[in-house]
Amino acid sequence: MADRRPATVPASQPDRSARIAGLVTAARDGSDDALGQIVTELSPLLWQVARAAGLSSGDAEDVLQTVWMRLLAHLDGIRTSTALTAWLVVTTRREAWRVRAAGRRQLPADQDWLGALPDQGPDSEEQVIIDEQRHTLWAAIGKLSPRCQELLRIIAFVPRPDYQAVAAELGMPVGSVGPTRGRCLAKLRALLAGDAEGSPR
Amino acid sequence: MKLPDAGGWWAADGPLDEFDLALLDGIREMFQEVDPMPVDLPERIRFSLALRDLEVEVARIAAEGDPRLIAARGAEQSRTVTFDSDSLTIMIRIDSNRDGTARVDGWLAPPQRREIEMKTAAGSLTVLSDEQGRFAFASVPRGTAQLAVRPAEQGPSGSGRSVVTPALIL
Repeated sequence: MADRRPATVPASQPDRSARIAGLVTAARDGSDDALGQIVTELSPLLWQVARAAGLSSGDAEDVLQTVWMRLLAHLDGIRTSTALTAWLVVTTRREAWRVRAAGRRQLPADQDWLGALPDQGPDSEEQVIIDEQRHTLWAAIGKLSPRCQELLRIIAFVPRPDYQAVAAELGMPVGSVGPTRGRCLAKLRALLAGDAEGSPR
Repeated sequence: MKLPDAGGWWAADGPLDEFDLALLDGIREMFQEVDPMPVDLPERIRFSLALRDLEVEVARIAAEGDPRLIAARGAEQSRTVTFDSDSLTIMIRIDSNRDGTARVDGWLAPPQRREIEMKTAAGSLTVLSDEQGRFAFASVPRGTAQLAVRPAEQGPSGSGRSVVTPALIL
C-alpha cells in the first residue's frame, strides 16, 4: 500500500517527446521525411480512435488520410509532442463521428472484434496461463460500457507522457497531482478482482 | 500482466499505478492483435501528404463503391467513385486499358474548367476539364493515385484552394 505513488514516466519517454517535437519543427520547415516519421509513429493510435468510434475499415482509412492532410494546415500552432497527440486524437474522433452520422450506416460487419481474440499458442504450460489471463481481461473489457471500452482502447495507445492531456480532452477527470485511474480503469479493476475472487484457484 | 491482488483497490480517483499501466499494455496488445491498422496505410498517407498544399480542401469518398475493391476485383468492370468536398463534387469512372493501365474519366460538379492533377508513384499527369466539367486521363499506371483539382482562376466562384482526394488504389 505504501507503493501507491503516481506512475512514473519511463526514462526513455522524455527522449521520445523531444524527438517528436523536433520532428514537428522539421515537418513545419518542409521535411517530408520528418512528417512521414510522425505519420508512422502515430497512425496506429489514430486507427484505434477511428475504429473505436465504430467506423468500417474503409471509412477509418479515409478519416486518417483526411486528418493527416488537415494537420498540415495546423502545424504552425503545434509545438509539443503532447499537443500533437491531443490534436490528432480529438480531430480523428470528431471526424469519425461526422462520417458515422453522415453515413447513416449500421455498425459495419468488421466491427465484431469482441469475439475475436485468438489464442497465441504454442500450448506450453506458461502460454496456457498467459492465454487465460488474456481472455479474462478481454471478457472484462466486454462487460464495460461502450464509452469505457472506447476510452480505454484509445488511452491504451496514447504514449504515456501524453496520457493526461489526452484523457482530459476526452472528458476523463484528471487529478491535480498526476494522472488518475479514472472511472473506466477502476471499473475494469473491480471486474477483474471480482472474477479472481469468484473463480476457483 | 498479473491479475489484481485479492485486496482489490479500485478508487476512480486513485493515482494511476503499475497495475493500471499493465492493464493498458494488455489492452493495447489485444487490440493490436484483433484490429490492427493495415500495414500499408502509413505509406498511403505519406503519399497523399507529399502534395504539401496547405490551402487544400479535402474531398471525402461519398459513393458506396469502395475504390479499394477495384484491385481485388481484377478491374474487369468499370467502377465509379464519387468524392465530395464543400465546394466541389468529383466523380470518376475507372476502366481498364488493354495494356494494363487504367483509364480515368471524370466530371466536376458544378461544371467548370479546372486544372486537374493525377499524382501517381510514377509521377504526375495534368489535364484540364472542359466547360461541362469533364476530364479524362487516358492512361494511368496502376497503383496508388490521388487527384488534386487546382484552384480556379479569379472569379466569383473561384475558391482559391485545391481540392484533393484521399489516395486510392487504381
